[in-house]
Amino acid sequence: MAENKNMQDGIKRRDFLKVLGVSGAGATLTGCSTEEVERLLPYVIPPDDITPGVSTWYTTVCDGCSARCGMWVRTREGRAIKVEGNPNHPVSQGGLCAKGHATLQHLYHPDRFPGPMVREGSELRQVTWEEAESLLAARLSSAQNPMLISGQMGPSLNELVDEFVEGIGGIRVSYDAISDAPLAEAARIVYGTAGIPQYDIENARFLLSFGNDFIETGSSPVAHNKGLARMSSVDAAGSKGRFVYLGSRLSLTGLNADKWIPIRPGTEAAVALAMAAVIAGDDPEVAGPYSNVLQAFNPQVAAQAAGVTEDAIFELAEDFASQAPTLALGPGVGAHHSGATAANIAVMILNHVAGNVGRTVFYDAPMNGAMSAYADIEATVNAMASGESDVVMVHGANPVYSMPLQAGFAEAFAQVPFKVSFASALDETSEMADLILPDQHFLEAWGDSSPLAGVVAVQQPVMQPVPHFESKQTGDVLLSVANRLSGEGDAATFYDYVREHHRSAHDDADGDFEDAWQELLRTGMADTRREEAGALELQSPEVALSFEVPTFDLPGDLTLLVHPSPRFGAGEFSNSPWLQELPDPVSKIVWHSWLEMNPHTAELRGIREGDIVTVTSPHGSLEVPVWLYPGIREDVVALAMGGGHTGMGRYADDKGVNALNLIPSTSEQLSGALVTTVTAVTVIPTGEKRRLATVEGSSDQYDRMIAPAVALADLGHAGDDEHEEGGHEELRELQGVGGFIPVPADEGAPTAFPLEGSRHGLYAEAQEGPRWAMAIDLDKCTGCSACVTACQAENNVPWVGEEQVLMGREMSWVRIERYYEQVDATQAADLDVRFLPMICQHCGNAPCETVCPVFATYHTPEGLNAQVYNRCVGTRYCANNCPYKVRVFNWYDYTDAVPEPLNWQWNPDVTVRANGVMEKCSFCVQRIREVQNRAALEGGREVRDHEVVPACEQSCPAEAIVFGNIRDPNARITQVSASERTYRVLEPLNTQPAVNYLKKVTFHEVASVGHEE
Amino acid sequence: MRKHWLIGGLASLLALAAGVAFIQEEPQETPVSEDIAEPEYPSGQPIAFPHDQHAGSQPGQNNMDCQYCHYSAERSVDAGIPPVSACWGCHQAIPGSNNPEEVAKIQQSIQTGVPIPWVRIYKVADHVHFPHMRHVNAGLECQQCHGEVQEMQVLNSRDPVWGGDNMGWCVECHRQPDDAGKPQASTDCTVCHY
Amino acid sequence: MSLVPEGPTARGAVPHPDVHTYDEVNRDVLRALETPGKGWWALLAVAAAGVVLFFSAWGWQLYKGIGVSGLNSPVGWGVYITTFVFWVGIAHSGTLISAILFLFRSPWRQSIYRAAEAMTVFAVMTAGLFPLIHVGRLWHAYWLIPYPNSRFLWPNFKSPLVWDVFAITTYFTVSATFFYLGAIPDIAAARDRATGLRKKLYQVISLGWRGTDSQWHHFGKAYIFLAALATPLVLSVHSVVSWDFAMAIVPGWHATIFAPYFVAGAIFSGVAMVITLVVPIRKIFGLEAYLTTKHFDAMAKLCLLTSLIVLYAYLSEFFLAWYSGEEIERTAFWNRLFGDYWWATWTMLVCNGFVPIMLWFRRIRHSIPALFVISIFINIGMWFERYVIVVTSLHHEYEPFAWGIYRPSLTEMALMVGSFCWFGFWFLLFTRLLPPIAIAELKEVLPAPTRKKTGEAY
Repeated sequence: MAENKNMQDGIKRRDFLKVLGVSGAGATLTGCSTEEVERLLPYVIPPDDITPGVSTWYTTVCDGCSARCGMWVRTREGRAIKVEGNPNHPVSQGGLCAKGHATLQHLYHPDRFPGPMVREGSELRQVTWEEAESLLAARLSSAQNPMLISGQMGPSLNELVDEFVEGIGGIRVSYDAISDAPLAEAARIVYGTAGIPQYDIENARFLLSFGNDFIETGSSPVAHNKGLARMSSVDAAGSKGRFVYLGSRLSLTGLNADKWIPIRPGTEAAVALAMAAVIAGDDPEVAGPYSNVLQAFNPQVAAQAAGVTEDAIFELAEDFASQAPTLALGPGVGAHHSGATAANIAVMILNHVAGNVGRTVFYDAPMNGAMSAYADIEATVNAMASGESDVVMVHGANPVYSMPLQAGFAEAFAQVPFKVSFASALDETSEMADLILPDQHFLEAWGDSSPLAGVVAVQQPVMQPVPHFESKQTGDVLLSVANRLSGEGDAATFYDYVREHHRSAHDDADGDFEDAWQELLRTGMADTRREEAGALELQSPEVALSFEVPTFDLPGDLTLLVHPSPRFGAGEFSNSPWLQELPDPVSKIVWHSWLEMNPHTAELRGIREGDIVTVTSPHGSLEVPVWLYPGIREDVVALAMGGGHTGMGRYADDKGVNALNLIPSTSEQLSGALVTTVTAVTVIPTGEKRRLATVEGSSDQYDRMIAPAVALADLGHAGDDEHEEGGHEELRELQGVGGFIPVPADEGAPTAFPLEGSRHGLYAEAQEGPRWAMAIDLDKCTGCSACVTACQAENNVPWVGEEQVLMGREMSWVRIERYYEQVDATQAADLDVRFLPMICQHCGNAPCETVCPVFATYHTPEGLNAQVYNRCVGTRYCANNCPYKVRVFNWYDYTDAVPEPLNWQWNPDVTVRANGVMEKCSFCVQRIREVQNRAALEGGREVRDHEVVPACEQSCPAEAIVFGNIRDPNARITQVSASERTYRVLEPLNTQPAVNYLKKVTFHEVASVGHEE
Repeated sequence: MRKHWLIGGLASLLALAAGVAFIQEEPQETPVSEDIAEPEYPSGQPIAFPHDQHAGSQPGQNNMDCQYCHYSAERSVDAGIPPVSACWGCHQAIPGSNNPEEVAKIQQSIQTGVPIPWVRIYKVADHVHFPHMRHVNAGLECQQCHGEVQEMQVLNSRDPVWGGDNMGWCVECHRQPDDAGKPQASTDCTVCHY
Repeated sequence: MSLVPEGPTARGAVPHPDVHTYDEVNRDVLRALETPGKGWWALLAVAAAGVVLFFSAWGWQLYKGIGVSGLNSPVGWGVYITTFVFWVGIAHSGTLISAILFLFRSPWRQSIYRAAEAMTVFAVMTAGLFPLIHVGRLWHAYWLIPYPNSRFLWPNFKSPLVWDVFAITTYFTVSATFFYLGAIPDIAAARDRATGLRKKLYQVISLGWRGTDSQWHHFGKAYIFLAALATPLVLSVHSVVSWDFAMAIVPGWHATIFAPYFVAGAIFSGVAMVITLVVPIRKIFGLEAYLTTKHFDAMAKLCLLTSLIVLYAYLSEFFLAWYSGEEIERTAFWNRLFGDYWWATWTMLVCNGFVPIMLWFRRIRHSIPALFVISIFINIGMWFERYVIVVTSLHHEYEPFAWGIYRPSLTEMALMVGSFCWFGFWFLLFTRLLPPIAIAELKEVLPAPTRKKTGEAY
């Protein structure tokens, strides 16, 4: 759809799609008998870039968050069915986060508006675009200083909106619920640069995060996740980088640290400056205009304030100075307190003193993430309340939900005579609107983005608008309304506008624009970044800075941390069932909210897990169940954003609580950002309890070598296994004891594929052909759970809802297990948390296969553990006998609950499973077949290495997963599996899994395993 | 005499079991529904399309290659339903000697942009993935599964030659020995079922 | 013993001191078949209601999906399989008592074996339903049966579930035949007294029994042959059922002791169930003369023996778990005793291990009420034994992160309770339609009658 010409055959395309909705995607096991006759609607005029049954891929840009990752979208017969990261794109580099995958559900979401709506009394009435636009034009022509509140948007639309607002003589307010404003402001104060600094996490050898949750939130989670994985991987160029997390709560990012220094909330500045002081030593001048600040701080003061030992800070400072290149990240959106900007300045000074500017942190090549101040929206609220404005338009924001209740946005908004919303789907703000002009989903619309200075990407529509919804992209709406106001007949569409935007930026010296444009659409982006310049000079601040520790609203005795959810951000993703059912990477809880509390704190107060408590702040109170978490300071409790929606739709409403109801509406002094860590709370049990909808059975692996680790010092000493958990020696011994088939010493070696053990198995291995296998590097895996959602999207895995999860019936094929080995909230200490993605191990000697009475599960010649849905009788014996517990059962027809048109997303290459059958990870066999078919068409050539990429590997931002034919000695999988860190889960059972895990590498000695009685 | 009662009972039990099995085995038919616009043809098709007239090799028939219309059979899993423009490509020149009013419907579709609602005849179960291109490129004739379409005026999934929705039909062919004496195509379940 | 006067006995059997003539036997036993009392009708009504509950619950599950049970991942088997194994166990002692004791010429079987055999047949009929109730797609369950088909597909003969299919069906066929064959002479006896429709029915199913010498000759041959055939099945069936578990790698299942352990448990529960059933029959039909304390004493002893074997099996399981040094195995059994399902485990231990200890005392063995109560305890205990084995092993398996809890749903409970009614329903009909005590064999142990002119004795 790279060109406009396909747009005109929309009608037929839609009809055609309707049918595919039935026949293609509607494929189910019960589908054998179709009651009514099936219709086949041909194209009237076939689009030249679509072959029925063959996927067509388009590049575009993810609109999920400010990071704007590049995307590849897979479409079948004109339907988008899967989104993936664009490997060419500097931000995503092929990876994509769970939220990115879930944007696909927004496209087909049944809660989208069927068309433009006008409020009549309490009812909304659908009208034509003609009526809607003329109505808006009419109101605007007579409007008193109209306002437009807008969220994140690409450059072209941004420009257009500015022109539009200027044209109507209105006011524009940019608003983002969670923004990096303090960071940007700090950069402006300290270096006079605009935008958010860029980090080179990958090349830092020592990484320090002051409560910055950079792999979940912030300017670019996917890129930073990749950076962290590469930096902290033992395979990293040079040496394995060390990551220390300073913060009062371990976020997902924190759980990946090697050491945790649990400082008090708000003391980042003190610690950073103290470190800087230590590093600067007797030459504070390196801090330029801030040298006097350094003198004011020293480890005693900082240690005092932060509640950690003085030595810890000294040690940290020395490491930070010695292990260059290093990098420190200031408090991010998860830890905005009233001193956030100051804290970021302090961290910048630290980076400067350590000489990181221009090496690992770049201020002159900003990321275009930062958004305007919360202060502005507060002003807007006052303006609305005082009736200054009689038309308010909202685009890409949901302030009614995402602003603290205290802000009183809803009340003020209600004052406005004419409220316009451009929301494409229902939310709390559009619920109040008088006129709704549903925007198109970014996969249906034109747009562009510039995530980094010098990088331009075009967001092109990958399909005709979903026919259920009469949507129109806001760009076109603004243009046509502008025309109506001006009376000009300018017929330009937003598509022309975007093209024009890029044409003007195009330098004809680089050749014809048309070629450049096509290339831009093909590759998805143009990268014209120049070499970053060197270090910058510190500028003396033009504002008064205070680095004092902020105080929190009393009388509570526990400081409340309100942080964005890794799954929902600030709540804009809460209506996606995939994300609702994606276990939170930290708590592993789904569908509802929870209060994180340290076990000791809870014990002192006689609170048990699952107890429902009343959390009361001076600004509000709510009831929420407690989840005990050793990764949070004893004087802190935490709540995630994203819960407690009231008007967002079927999957979001009444799920959990809205943490923002507890905090006041205050903006940080310098940056004007919303302050989230601001109040203390009291926590009182209500006496009621509930079972948490968690997928976690136990966070202790009981030394079962499920997710073992190896100390860095012990690497390279293959043989002496004392410190290496689950060394092969030990395993063979166990195999003797456990009465399993004794396996020769060399056999456990991953290089010895096909495994000797698979001959002990039941099925003769084919002697030629591939032997599919996977390697998962636990030293890289950050537990971000992107693979879980990617798998769900690729394999038509249904969601089951909270009640079913409570019964233990979650369907996900990937289970990210999270085990604590060592988490100590009382002092600075080594941190050891293990993440392990558990999928079907495709055992060469599979326990499930022998017990299936009908061969519904069996071993294929290619080494897959096949599950033939249509043969399954549903005895569930295989699931009982699976030691890895990766088999999930269809207790009901879960797919019946999938409303039209969400089912349009289903992958036509994968059977939709019906009631009463077992399912599990298939190693994406449909992708294997697709590649094999392609290879056969291309003269029966061999399948190339890395040509088959399962959904999980494709989306993994950390590059932790490698898949391939392990019988090919040169394949990546074979190379990776040859590592000395390779082991297999529960190897003593001699199941001979095809999934090789690579042990996590720790800096500290790991405790040896196996109980000695 | 009383023994016969026993024998009879046992026999009927067996018959019942066999019956159940048979019902399960029996290929599903494509029922024809009532809600079809335009005149009903035996096939229930909106247009009385004669396959024999187009693909037949008898004198007066046009002996067209199947893939002239079913255009994606050799490069896709789907054989492809011919776009209306493909019909129109010839029929704007050929009014249709036998029944021009049928051809008029094509023109109508082209002009209104409303596609022709063909009734699906050939269908394998939804849990079966049948890649047309693999079979076409393996040198199979379409007729081997679809029957002598070029001799049929009206296609009918009840026609015995259509064995495509019966797994035995597929397996029978897959397990035929090739020159090396091995099965000529894999009978591994996941070749079709995933 | 003491209360039995020594005297001339056939096959060393116990003569019934209060029974003298064949005529009495016919009268007393066949009285059971005459117009039923209120009690019987009341029981039948309850049972029928339960059967309705049973099938409506099953229908509900078929309609909604197996999800109406409380099953989940990791606990894929629960009350259904528990109940299945329970009934298979019950099915044991019938054939045991009749066939094995017959072969060993045991002196006390005649009075009880008919009831025991009936119990066997109905118990298998009940047990056989549960695998069907339990599968996710009942309509495809016939795939477990090997039959030629166009897909060239066969069941997986390596799977214990397929073995089950054969074991259960074989056992049912043989015990049903055995039951029927043994009953033929008595049916004939009933036929000669019955009238109307009943007579017609008995005429058909007594297969023209006249009690001629040649018939008795063939009968004896066939009976002993079937007894010999049935005996190994008693051992094999429950061994096969135990392999459903023993063949799996689940900690708590994967044990070589399972076959003998299950067989002992089966006999244990079976005999207990016989007591539970025979006590009321004895009371209702006034058969005290035929079911003497002697018989109960013998059954009690059998219970005692098997309970000791079962207790030994429990203990050795725990011991071996500890002795193996296998951490995961140890955790599994520790979890059994003190984990989430401790109550089930202790119920099992108390009911099966400790309560039967009372049977050491003769006074208790000779007190019918006491035996009745104890037998109920044993039935409960044996159900929980299977529950413990199935559920506690599954809910804490190898992968700690995947541990889970299983709570049986109402539907499962309905089906479990309903199964007892289904069983009782058939048993009640049996007590009305067939002589609950083997007339012919009883007569064998009575002193030979002096021929009367009517010559009605067979």
